[in-house]
Amino acid sequence: MPEVTYERRLAVPVERIWDFVQDMNNWAPMLTGYQKHEILSDTKSIWTLKGDVGILSRTVRLEVNITEWNGPGRVAFTLTGQNEQVEGGGLFEMTTVTADTPAAVVAAPVSGFQRFLRWLFRGLFKRKFGEVTFTPAAAGAATASLRFTLRMDAGGPTGPLVNAMLEPALLPAAEDLGNKIAAHLTGAQGASSTQA
Amino acid sequence: MFGIGKRKYARETDLLVLGSGAAGLTAAITARDAGAEVLVLEKSGRVGGTSAVSGGVVWVPCNPHMAEVGVSDSRAEALTYLRKIADDRTEDTLLERFLDAAPEMIRALEASTPLKFVALGEYPDYHPELPGGKPGGRSMEAGLFDTNELGPWKDKLRRSPIFGGTPMTVTEAMTWGVFSKPLALPYAELGKRYKAGMVCYGGSLIGRLLKGCLDRKVEPQLDTTALSLIEEDGRICGVVARQGGQEIAIKARKGVLLATGGFEWDAGLVRRFLGVPLTHPNSPPTNTGDGLRMAMAAGADLGNVGEAWWCPSVVVPGEEYDGKPLNRGDFSIRSLPHSIIVNRRGQRFVNEAANYNDLMKPFFNFEPNAYERPNLPAWLIVDRQFLEKYILVTAVPGMQTPEFITQGATLAELAAKMGIDPAGLEATVARFNAFAVEGKDRDFGRGDSLYDRFYGDPARTLNPNLGALEKAPFYALPVHSGSIGTKGGPRVDVDARVLHVEGGPIPGLYAAGNVMAGITGPGYPGAGSTIGVAMTFGWLAARHAAGARPGGGR
Repeated sequence: MPEVTYERRLAVPVERIWDFVQDMNNWAPMLTGYQKHEILSDTKSIWTLKGDVGILSRTVRLEVNITEWNGPGRVAFTLTGQNEQVEGGGLFEMTTVTADTPAAVVAAPVSGFQRFLRWLFRGLFKRKFGEVTFTPAAAGAATASLRFTLRMDAGGPTGPLVNAMLEPALLPAAEDLGNKIAAHLTGAQGASSTQA
Repeated sequence: MFGIGKRKYARETDLLVLGSGAAGLTAAITARDAGAEVLVLEKSGRVGGTSAVSGGVVWVPCNPHMAEVGVSDSRAEALTYLRKIADDRTEDTLLERFLDAAPEMIRALEASTPLKFVALGEYPDYHPELPGGKPGGRSMEAGLFDTNELGPWKDKLRRSPIFGGTPMTVTEAMTWGVFSKPLALPYAELGKRYKAGMVCYGGSLIGRLLKGCLDRKVEPQLDTTALSLIEEDGRICGVVARQGGQEIAIKARKGVLLATGGFEWDAGLVRRFLGVPLTHPNSPPTNTGDGLRMAMAAGADLGNVGEAWWCPSVVVPGEEYDGKPLNRGDFSIRSLPHSIIVNRRGQRFVNEAANYNDLMKPFFNFEPNAYERPNLPAWLIVDRQFLEKYILVTAVPGMQTPEFITQGATLAELAAKMGIDPAGLEATVARFNAFAVEGKDRDFGRGDSLYDRFYGDPARTLNPNLGALEKAPFYALPVHSGSIGTKGGPRVDVDARVLHVEGGPIPGLYAAGNVMAGITGPGYPGAGSTIGVAMTFGWLAARHAAGARPGGGR
């Protein structure tokens, strides 16, 4: 199953990240290609996203189910396509680190829902928040790590081909979401990328 | 629009090519090899135009590869066939020029560029049973192409939204049974090829032509739109173009070639010229008739403007390409068993397996008393057996049926959902099912032609295009009026020079491809005849322009 992980360091307490992340409404519009989302219960929601799949652009509805809720540190979820045969999931992990703590190496892109999610994350952010830049946190300063893991897998006999088309979009999608959350929480200050 | 007096040119060249499809790039290579300086302007941010999103097949009678697949051909046979296909609307001089020049053009490109063709021995002409028609061999493909060969231009190659994701050759597609056995395709291998940057069909054709251009230091100017022609002393000698938000004048010492594609994305021109609805074009949305307008402004005589390369289209809601709704051409679905196309009365009105161009004509039938077109809208109807065997747009056997495909537990229920007469549909299906049992479509002859059977399911030995619709649920999908491009515009002579409405060529102005008055009239000779004719007239234009002397009036 195609999977990527992206990590951002933020010069903010973990609790502040948690406060932001635990309310889906806060960051849902930060997804590139975000169209709308509907919260059905504490654990279930439907997301409508528009993004590139290979060469063309499609609108996809995903059911998001929260499977793990351990604050302030970890949220896991699954994704199930409503109008496309795709499945996947993801993980938000928040930990306290110092700036000189070696950053976890970001996993190489594995494959998945990529261009679709690139659009999904990137375009909207440019429109809504504009381009942002980040400055590294001062060495030794207390920071938090926000790690975002995303995996998507197209099912059925054509899955291997569809996954090859999706793969290029996964990492940019994860990057964009991590960056936008960081930008929001830090006012574009004190965040540093640890992307490999 | 013509300029007056002397103007300052931002750039000069010999041949200025407007458009980077197969016609334009062929012309660029040919003119460069003839010693001319060449500049290519491309309106979009990608190279390739309509050709790049096409099947990339090239139709050339008497081509140098037919013998390799055991098919013989002759100029006389091809001319007989072309006259009939063109409905006797085109002068023999143009048809003969095409037939004489096209094989030479192929040889020249193969000798000097990465283009290497393979004849498709089993890909029939679109009317192989007509006098002079062939069961295969006139259509050629360029195989796969590794886009890494383009270096930094790799991402500037336009990709087809349909074929760009399945890098397989036409030969492989036929061998693997791309239509009839979709689950047997090697999807893992195709995924590897995709990731490796391999392209096929039109992507391969344009990729190779682009490589030929780059090898000659001819780099298309992207995002550059030609706005108007410049005339000096009775000769077309350049254009005004918009590039980077600025208007610039570019001088063309030996001529300007219009290779800007059709006008199918300009609703006004469509209404004015076609006379029938064209609502769902399949080409890149930059085909807005720019070249046609420029030619008209120069006084060009027009021809074939009421014609298009028609193609039934289907839509997946939410899909977009280049920022516009994606209209997918239906080249094969309707030819497979367990499917029919009906109108709102629930009646069939055409051989669904006919070639996509001719298939569309009955969609436009007009009933004088009712003052309406009874066959628009129309729907493709299939049953469960179809979805268990074949791919229906994005519905793959064994996977969930997409919600844009309407379902009904019965034919009557499905008809009611779609606004089709239920009794009419039930009667039609009952009659069609009897034909399927017999293996003979006694209403429209579906499966009679070798062409029909090429797109059928060979496992259906009685008739590869017929299969009953008898297992619920039943499914429906709207079929729209689409086109892979219009084919009317400025008339040309045997050197692709644009003709003035008052007679004689307009000095310095050439046309090739879908912008030009198509020589095939209303017809479609065979797979790749759009591109075969386009490349040939691009080649002719370049050769004439490269040898022409500037100056002189009409």
